[in-house]
Amino acid sequence: MSGIVIAVVVLTILALIFGILLGFAAEKFKVEGDPLAEQVEALLPQTQCGQCGYPGCKPYAEAIANGDKINKCPPGGTATMEKIADLVGVDPEPLNATEEIQEKKVAYIREDECIGCTKCIQACPVDAILGSGKLMHTVITDYCTGCDLCVAPCPVDCIDMLPIEQTTKTWNWQLNAIPVKQVQEDPQC
Amino acid sequence: MAFKLASSPHLKVQLQTQSVMRRVILCALPGIAAQYYFFGWGVLIQVLLAIAVALLSESIVLKLRKRPIKPTISDNSAVLTALLIGVSLPSIAPWWIVVIGTLFAIVIVKHLYGGLGQNIFNPAMAAYVMLLISFPVQMTSWSVPLSLAQTPMDLGLTLQAIFGAMTPEQLNIYKLGFDGIAMATPLDTVKTDLSLGLTITESLSKSIFSDGYGVGWFWVNVAYLLGGIAMLKLKVIRWQISVGVIAAIFVCSSFDYLLSPDTHIGPLLQLFSGATMLAAFFIATDPVTAATSVRGRLIFGALIGVLVYVIRTYGGYPDAFAFAVLLANLCAPFIDYYVKPRSYGHRSGN
Amino acid sequence: MLTLLEQVDKGTLWRSHGGIHPPELKTLSSKTTIANFPLASHFIIPIPQVGDSALLRIKKGERVVKGQALTAGTSFAHCAVHAPTSGTITAIEQLPSNHASGLPVLSCVLTADGQDESIETITSDLSTLDNQQILKLIQNAGIAGLGGAAFPTHIKLSPVSDIELVIINGIECEPYITSDDRLMQEYSDEIISGIAIIERLLTPKRIIIAIEDNKPEAIEAMQHSLNRSELSSDNVRITKVPTKYPSGGEKQLIQILTGQEVPSGAIPAQLGMLVQNVATAYAIQDAVINGQPLISRVVTVTGLNCETPGNYWLPIGTQVQHILQTSGFKGDLSQDKIIIGGPMMGHSLPDVTAPVLKGTNCILLPSTEEIAPDQQEMPCIRCGECAVVCPALLLPQQLFWHAQAEEYDKAASFNLHDCIECGCCSYVCPSDIPLVEYYRVAKSALRTQSEEKKQADLAKQRFDARQQRLEDEKLARETKAREAAARRKNSMASADKNVVAEAMARMKAKKAAQSNTADSVAPAPVQDKKAQIAAAIARAKAKKASATTATDHPVGSDDVEVDPIDDKKAKINAAIARAKAKKAQQNNPSAKTSAPDVQVNAVDEKKAKVAAAIARAKAKKQLQADGDKTQEKVLVDNDTALATNTVPNTNKESTETTLAADTKKARIAAAVAKAKAKKQSLTSDDTEATNPNAVANDSSTDPAAESALSPAEIKKARIAAAVAKAKAKKAQAKLEEKE
Repeated sequence: MSGIVIAVVVLTILALIFGILLGFAAEKFKVEGDPLAEQVEALLPQTQCGQCGYPGCKPYAEAIANGDKINKCPPGGTATMEKIADLVGVDPEPLNATEEIQEKKVAYIREDECIGCTKCIQACPVDAILGSGKLMHTVITDYCTGCDLCVAPCPVDCIDMLPIEQTTKTWNWQLNAIPVKQVQEDPQC
Repeated sequence: MAFKLASSPHLKVQLQTQSVMRRVILCALPGIAAQYYFFGWGVLIQVLLAIAVALLSESIVLKLRKRPIKPTISDNSAVLTALLIGVSLPSIAPWWIVVIGTLFAIVIVKHLYGGLGQNIFNPAMAAYVMLLISFPVQMTSWSVPLSLAQTPMDLGLTLQAIFGAMTPEQLNIYKLGFDGIAMATPLDTVKTDLSLGLTITESLSKSIFSDGYGVGWFWVNVAYLLGGIAMLKLKVIRWQISVGVIAAIFVCSSFDYLLSPDTHIGPLLQLFSGATMLAAFFIATDPVTAATSVRGRLIFGALIGVLVYVIRTYGGYPDAFAFAVLLANLCAPFIDYYVKPRSYGHRSGN
Repeated sequence: MLTLLEQVDKGTLWRSHGGIHPPELKTLSSKTTIANFPLASHFIIPIPQVGDSALLRIKKGERVVKGQALTAGTSFAHCAVHAPTSGTITAIEQLPSNHASGLPVLSCVLTADGQDESIETITSDLSTLDNQQILKLIQNAGIAGLGGAAFPTHIKLSPVSDIELVIINGIECEPYITSDDRLMQEYSDEIISGIAIIERLLTPKRIIIAIEDNKPEAIEAMQHSLNRSELSSDNVRITKVPTKYPSGGEKQLIQILTGQEVPSGAIPAQLGMLVQNVATAYAIQDAVINGQPLISRVVTVTGLNCETPGNYWLPIGTQVQHILQTSGFKGDLSQDKIIIGGPMMGHSLPDVTAPVLKGTNCILLPSTEEIAPDQQEMPCIRCGECAVVCPALLLPQQLFWHAQAEEYDKAASFNLHDCIECGCCSYVCPSDIPLVEYYRVAKSALRTQSEEKKQADLAKQRFDARQQRLEDEKLARETKAREAAARRKNSMASADKNVVAEAMARMKAKKAAQSNTADSVAPAPVQDKKAQIAAAIARAKAKKASATTATDHPVGSDDVEVDPIDDKKAKINAAIARAKAKKAQQNNPSAKTSAPDVQVNAVDEKKAKVAAAIARAKAKKQLQADGDKTQEKVLVDNDTALATNTVPNTNKESTETTLAADTKKARIAAAVAKAKAKKQSLTSDDTEATNPNAVANDSSTDPAAESALSPAEIKKARIAAAVAKAKAKKAQAKLEEKE
């Protein structure tokens, strides 16, 4: 009988001690905010394209933190999806959009065709289009995220998504991709 | 006209995996010769058998994996693995032991892990451990050194023994020394004697220790040591692992020997018996499964040495290189992780 | 404990980790004196900074003379480029670069006139110049590091912190290359006077001229010149360095000479040190004393595929193919590599039309026996030789492991960025793994990643700013609306309601009148432009719509049209036809067109077409919007004054007051509305048979309105109605077809 009593007492005391420890730890190492959403947001490409169905990357990050699917970000591609899967701890899923956009593109306005309607300016999530009513608009390509959102509103269809040209500074050492150059024997250049 | 495009550098040393492996094999020849001299034909038959099985099985596996066969076969790594299996088995072990062992080493330990460079365990040692656990009787039936045997085995008899044309009773005859007592390896003998309550001195008075180190074993070790030094000279291996192994065994055994010479064998006997030199220079130095940095390799070698000594002295097996090497293989990634050298321009370790 | 400078004075050397001893093969080219090269007929001068931080000073077709600056820049980083000879600029375009990628860069093509006429060079007396003037001279001469990296020298020579030790790099540790060796042997006095200029600019405590011990002649020549010069032998010394590759690397050289390591990510100036190449010292002297810009340099042309190996003064901009021809290239371009730089770090050239640059110190034309054959990459056996030779003390095989698996973050954690790409690891690798190539790919991927990260951060920042702005605007609007409402309430309470109603009526009338006058006054060009715009809009819409149709995007809603796709298609076709017709009318009356609407258009006025197009676009929009409400809204938006009574079918709930003023626009709109109404009935009605009737009804209810109009206007409106009818019919036909 006393054995049982001792066991119960000991366990109770242990429970108390650990309870206090846990409570203390919870207070001491409290994490402010929702780090998961922030971490997810850090992984997202920040194109703010809205293709996920949320108005911007942050809302989508919050949605993922709250259990939304992780495969709704076409600009991020499979790589981003896998990173998020890793972070959130869910299985990777195939992207729900067809994945043909791997090349990074930016918008260009064919300026002589632009009628100055400002619709693209309103559509741009990162204010990367410059222009005014009835005046020609242009894209600040350094700011353009390639989100595509300006293409649809253009009433005269003068916005093209063009791939970013590779320069010697951005070259990625794909030696095999260098086209074989035909060399003429002609001494002139 | 197409230009040849390649990333720099455009110069290379012409020392390739293939020739590295070939040099290792050549350097192992003195040791094999010594084994042949002291223990008869068995070792040669085992080695040849193992090489044949290794090449055949590797070809088949490569075919199944749809990999090019010729470049991989010709890198000599399978031959080296087979050679190591061949020399570490008892010379009169039945043929199927070596076949199973080699198959296990090549197919499972090497290729199922992705082939050369991907395996985490030393194939030869993994095979050896597998055999030792699965077939303890066959794996511990060492033949007697020729000079001590009651009836020395010639080529015909060895072939009969290996290919199963001999009954166990017949076989046992050849395991008997001239004094009519079945003999094991020197380390085995000592271990058994110690467990029987004999002192080291008493144990060392047995016939197998007639030259002080165990007949034959000393010279076999010396031959492997010479081969190892040749490899160091040829820059086929670096000194760190071998030195680590030898130093660790020496330090550990000296310590115990000085404390209690009656129950522990001396450091020199430790170093020159069993598979010490073979393992220190030819097995532990397998780069694929070892640590990579200089300090890491020293640690890796020392770890093997300590494990060998501990298992030899306190464990159930008279010799323990296979276990020690496998355990150290397991640790290699961790050693590499924690023993990163300091890079140029960095303060320490990161 | 000796101080660093004392140890330097003693000539103490330290050991750098790793390194290799590849075959030197320098005697191929080191035995002959530096020769001049026959002038090429064309030169290609890349102008990389133009557009970035510099302006082009010349135009296509302009004549330039030797030494004339081609670019001008105001920024400190600007490094000028000059014409290497006299001639005409025949093109300024993107041309293949002397880069491993061969990607085109903006370049000037200079066609030489053979006269080699030079600008006047102003020789200066060093003692009359101050340091700023010297730096300016160096900058204007376009001097960049001639050791290979081509970093602008004037930037390097104006450090922010004090420089205690200047190292003049005459190591030249790469196999084959002997350009610095020959330069030191033949132009040691000039190099020393260049060093004197550096000494004056930086006033370091010590200068070390480091030369590898495989160049005894160069060491001797330099020592003699140094003894002859005014430089104090206490401060300047020549140090022999044991031959080992890559001791010529900046970081390795500093380690060998001082025992110190340049911290990762830092530059030597942070240690109070600076490394300059001997050839750069020569160029500094040439620029400051002789006023000669950097337009030529010594280049080693060597290799067994070269008939006349040696060192040459090559004008910068000389095309490699010219060099191949002149030096007797024996190889086969389809078989043999052409390597710019040495065999260890140089890159193979994808295009022989590329020019010699400031950093080009060697053109190596190796035969296939000389260089490593292309070998199949074997698996890594973790032998660790790469780590033994790595001068940066990295773990090349771990880097390789991660780079191969594309785990670039992990590769970066093994200090990938400290890799100097010297090639030692690939050189010793028994498995023939092109390690350096893996690192380069990994590095560029990491660079892309960090760029993307930066971009993402910027995008986020801008997005947040925009959200904030929109929020603010919304708030401002709401406040304004509230204030206005409050004011109205006040005035409502105080004033007579009738007055308000009257005012509103007045306002509406005014608006209508305004739109009237605006329309009628509008001159033809405006209309023309409008028409174009309308056409463009129609085109764009058609394109978009066809795109959506092609994808067969289902429109699912309760009260949607029976077959929106067909309907849309009909409209699209009409719009396209219209646009085409217009074009045809404008450009080529004989253009083939087939749609029935087009005939109508062809005989019609532009204006009508415009109206029709607008109407169409609007109609489409409405249909897309799929709802009565939207229709209403659009209509109201279009023109409040528009007689809503003329479209009773469409706006069933319309309660707007009718305005008497009936304008042209209103009428056109009425037609449009009719068309829309028709469409709606067409689409919303289940019984198809009633559709024509409905159309007929629609058009017949209008005479009252039409009677007040001029005949021309009536015509227009009718046309619009006809077009609408035609479309409706088409749509119906399609519908039937489908069913």
